[in-house]
Amino acid sequence: MVRRVIAARVADAATVDDLVQETLVRVLAAAGRVEPGMLEPYAIVTARNVVTSQWRERDRHQRNQHRVVDLRPSAAVDEDLLAREERDAVAQALTRLSAQERDLLLAHEVSGRDTRSLAGELGSTAGAVAAQLNRTRARLRVEYLLSVEGVEPPTDRCRPVLLALSGGDRRRQREVDAGRHLLECGSCARLSQPLMERGQPREDEVRVRVESDADIVAARQAARELASRLGFSRTDLTLIATAVSEIARNIVRFAGSGEVLVELLEHPHQGVRVVARDTGPGIADVERALTDGYSTYDGLGLGLPGARRLMDEFAVVSEMGRGTTVTMTKWRTGR
Amino acid sequence: MSGPKLVSILRQGPHLIASIHTALDDTEMERFREDLVEQIGRHRSRGVVIDVAALDVLDSFGARTLRTIGEMARLRGAVTVIVGIQPDVAFAMVSLGMDTGTVATALDLEEGLAFLEGSGARRSGAGRIGAPAARAVPR
Repeated sequence: MVRRVIAARVADAATVDDLVQETLVRVLAAAGRVEPGMLEPYAIVTARNVVTSQWRERDRHQRNQHRVVDLRPSAAVDEDLLAREERDAVAQALTRLSAQERDLLLAHEVSGRDTRSLAGELGSTAGAVAAQLNRTRARLRVEYLLSVEGVEPPTDRCRPVLLALSGGDRRRQREVDAGRHLLECGSCARLSQPLMERGQPREDEVRVRVESDADIVAARQAARELASRLGFSRTDLTLIATAVSEIARNIVRFAGSGEVLVELLEHPHQGVRVVARDTGPGIADVERALTDGYSTYDGLGLGLPGARRLMDEFAVVSEMGRGTTVTMTKWRTGR
Repeated sequence: MSGPKLVSILRQGPHLIASIHTALDDTEMERFREDLVEQIGRHRSRGVVIDVAALDVLDSFGARTLRTIGEMARLRGAVTVIVGIQPDVAFAMVSLGMDTGTVATALDLEEGLAFLEGSGARRSGAGRIGAPAARAVPR
């Protein structure tokens, strides 16, 4: 359909291909913002716009051709280049999908078929088709990013982690231990930025990068702020903030850097969970580190055991040479 | 330092009144310690009130720094009293299992100054470990 719209306006077959790709990119990028039934009209309008802007581009090009030097601002050249790279990346990403995934996605996004009619055809349900589409979009985003950045994932854990992030599937993210992988894998940490920025920011979690003294304060204040939304008492908020302060300081002192993730829980009760991860040297003897008075720096030796006393649940997982993850939870009591 | 002041140290007769205005990180806390101990010498202060009412938490580091300040001040001939520890902060400190050591405390600024006035007579021994009973909870 998009091809028809464009072919009606442009003669050159190669240009048509380019513009169809370009349209597809824009439509896919906008898919989240457009109402489901509106995708087809949207795609047509987009196709027209793409063609028009291509004409305008050519006009300007012709107007300028008599000049000896190319006065087109270099930014425009860059844009051209970027647009082309982007198209190539999408094309490449599409080839990474299975034929079935690709057909389904195109049928829905470009031809505007709704999930119900697609489900009828596939002998499935609309919900299952929608879920499948979501997974496919998540994969397309990952493959697109890998392609546009020219990155080959350094480990075989990278793709599953990026996929889980792209799909916004928290359970899956926990299963693949996405947070830890992002601390360990530089290229995934970079690639994951756009994946995590898209999607609406989560209201019920906050992530604080911890590298310096100031971050310790930021982490404990973020935890207090988030937990206050559940109506924790002032006393409990201070206990949580103090515990976060202790474990965030451990990150800065022992590991150099890491992160603190604070999330609100609804099940089985309301509560707040704090996950502190680092990629430091690890703790050789966790049992001992949880003992009062044990400390390898000149603190009070209260870090871990102290924080444990302040929270309701507390777990430390540490692997030598890989780092430490502290998970602690405070439940909101009915007081 | 840019922005609003994190702490202020005011001279009031023979005493210093140090107020912490906001949450401090470890580095700022240490700088505060340096400033305060330096000013004790410069003003030949005999007593120091530290108002921590604005601190969001007193974790192990914060508490240790206050204790260090108290000890350093004592070695420099001044009595230190901490005022304004909020009830929830106090509870967290106890729950954390902090060794609430040797520095005197009082409820608020007024009580803190009264404590310093009262301790002026027995100045030499006032800052010592386990010191002033009454309302001063040793920490």
